[in-house]
Amino acid sequence: MIVFNHIQRHYQFGNQTVQALSDVSGEIQTGEMVALCGPSGSGKSTLLNILGLLDMQYQGEVSLDGSALPKQAKHAAMLRRTQLGFIFQRFNLIPVMSALENVAYPLLLNGFDKKQQRYKAEQMLDWVGLSDFIHHRPDHLSGGQQQRVAIARALVHKPSLVIADEPTASLDSKTANLVVDIMKNLGQEMGTTFIVATHDIRMASRCDRTIELLDGKLNRFDNNQFDFPPSEAHLREAQNKPNGREVISWAN
Amino acid sequence: MGKLVGFLIPDTLRLAWLNLRRNQRRSSLSIIIVAITVFALVSTGGFGLYTYDSLKQATARDIGHLIISTPGYFEIDEEMPLANGLEQPQQLINKIVTLDSVRGVQPSIDFTGLISNGNKSAIYVGRGVNEREFDMKGPFLDIREGKTLSNTHSSRYDQAEPEVMLGVDLARNLNVTIGDWVTLLATTTDGALNAYDFRVHGIFSTGVPELDKRQLYLHIDSTQSLLNSNKVSTVSVFLFDLEQTAPASEKISKLIASQSQPLELTPWNVRAFYYQNVKSLYDRIFGIMGMIMAMVVFVSLFNTMTMSVTERTREIGTLSALGNLPNEIIAGFIREAGLLALVGSLLGTIAAALLTLFLMIAEVQMPPPPGMTQGYPLTIYFSLGLAALATLGVLTICLVAAYLSARKGVQKPITEALIHV
Repeated sequence: MIVFNHIQRHYQFGNQTVQALSDVSGEIQTGEMVALCGPSGSGKSTLLNILGLLDMQYQGEVSLDGSALPKQAKHAAMLRRTQLGFIFQRFNLIPVMSALENVAYPLLLNGFDKKQQRYKAEQMLDWVGLSDFIHHRPDHLSGGQQQRVAIARALVHKPSLVIADEPTASLDSKTANLVVDIMKNLGQEMGTTFIVATHDIRMASRCDRTIELLDGKLNRFDNNQFDFPPSEAHLREAQNKPNGREVISWAN
Repeated sequence: MGKLVGFLIPDTLRLAWLNLRRNQRRSSLSIIIVAITVFALVSTGGFGLYTYDSLKQATARDIGHLIISTPGYFEIDEEMPLANGLEQPQQLINKIVTLDSVRGVQPSIDFTGLISNGNKSAIYVGRGVNEREFDMKGPFLDIREGKTLSNTHSSRYDQAEPEVMLGVDLARNLNVTIGDWVTLLATTTDGALNAYDFRVHGIFSTGVPELDKRQLYLHIDSTQSLLNSNKVSTVSVFLFDLEQTAPASEKISKLIASQSQPLELTPWNVRAFYYQNVKSLYDRIFGIMGMIMAMVVFVSLFNTMTMSVTERTREIGTLSALGNLPNEIIAGFIREAGLLALVGSLLGTIAAALLTLFLMIAEVQMPPPPGMTQGYPLTIYFSLGLAALATLGVLTICLVAAYLSARKGVQKPITEALIHV
């Protein structure tokens, strides 16, 4: 379970202070898939970075399974290595490594021997439907395939928490659905908690709950009640405002 | 096969190699720069080693590996010829010659005087030696005409026709050739003038014009007769190997300590002024050249690694997000630079070895050095030690350049690195 209390984060630009997050609190149950929504500049990336231990310059408290998250870089790195997985919008695979090597990389970092690395990475790639592509380099894979490799990489070492930043933003809708299915199925099977930052209504609607941020404050934190499939009007609105200066109405 | 390759090449090195192959042109250029640097260092260093070695051998063969004299002989001017000479050195010579490392022991007399062909006179710098001394000198004395001094114990040697060897320019000045007679005048040890006639037996060149204009060789017996003394100036000890100088010096020091006449032992390097000057000059030239090359390698590698780090900023962010520590990421870049340095050094070393082989076959002639009259074949020693030293130097520079570049890259906050375009 992840608990975050009174999270505040500000950035200093010269004399100007920008409050990115103001007193944000909440909790996410183990195995939940939670969507982090809100327009650009609402603070969702900031919160995602804090929960993913990528940013430790915040006020407030965050705990994972009852233990406070460390604020020292070295301890944070070790926790990321063992307990966290990451899925990025642009996949962020290591281009010189094959799909198998990319997936095995977290196992290498966690000290697994070569045999175990290969076995577990092959198993993960099989689960995401890429067993025929294990020796392909990222530049020989489609966007959807790359994101599936990234999901396999994020889950191969059985982390408690996976942080996903716009995982479907670079994919077409069909592929996006497939990727969400994989994330959801594997998450449920492995009991992994997912926090997914997204602009994608379809993605958000598939999550168990939604955290909606607006101007750095928690706007809504509840069970999902989306129109799904979303109405034509919602889709048009989302397409017309890709950077969404206004909050899209997520619920009925 | 794949397992064998995996076993022999660790994943970390394989990854470094793959990263280098991302931008093949840039990596190749860096490897070429390293290779040229190592090639230049090993080749010029090899030329330096050859020069040092040649000069050391030439000096030791010319004056002897060890020189026995009266104390301060080389610092004090003699008022009379052989005033500071050695008396009765034969007993000492007999003892020294029995040592294993000793090839020969040769007494010699240094003297000066006037030489005349009957019409024209010139000042000479003479050296009285045993005929065996020329065997010791080997190829370092160039006999232009005639022969070296004959064996005085040979039946063919005619005592009525004492022999002299003249420097090539001295012979030319006096307009004499093999078989001609010249008269040598010298001051005896008691201050009187003495003169003997000698037949020209050989004409030689030392390669140094100043010496060729003045120098001549006589038999040591003839010299002692001319100077009216049975002393010698010095006794030169010739060894089989230059490296044996120090151990032989210890043994001979003990032998001369037991002599009734106080004596001192001078190793060749103390009297090797030309060798020391050349070495000092070359060391500075090579040192400055090495520093310039080190700077070129540093700037080149720093540029390559900085570009690589900048291009891979987002990847650094990803690796950090996955839990890599900054030092682990830096180590990755250091491995890449190390690989660049090693591959470049290997290529440079191979090129230097090939150049050495080529020069052994091709015999490229160098022009005469300043103050010399003869050129010499260009030879470059190939030294594995020197190649290892050059590789180590280049490797260190590359690793430092990689560390400095990568350190800057990993200091960027992960969140900024992840959105780097």
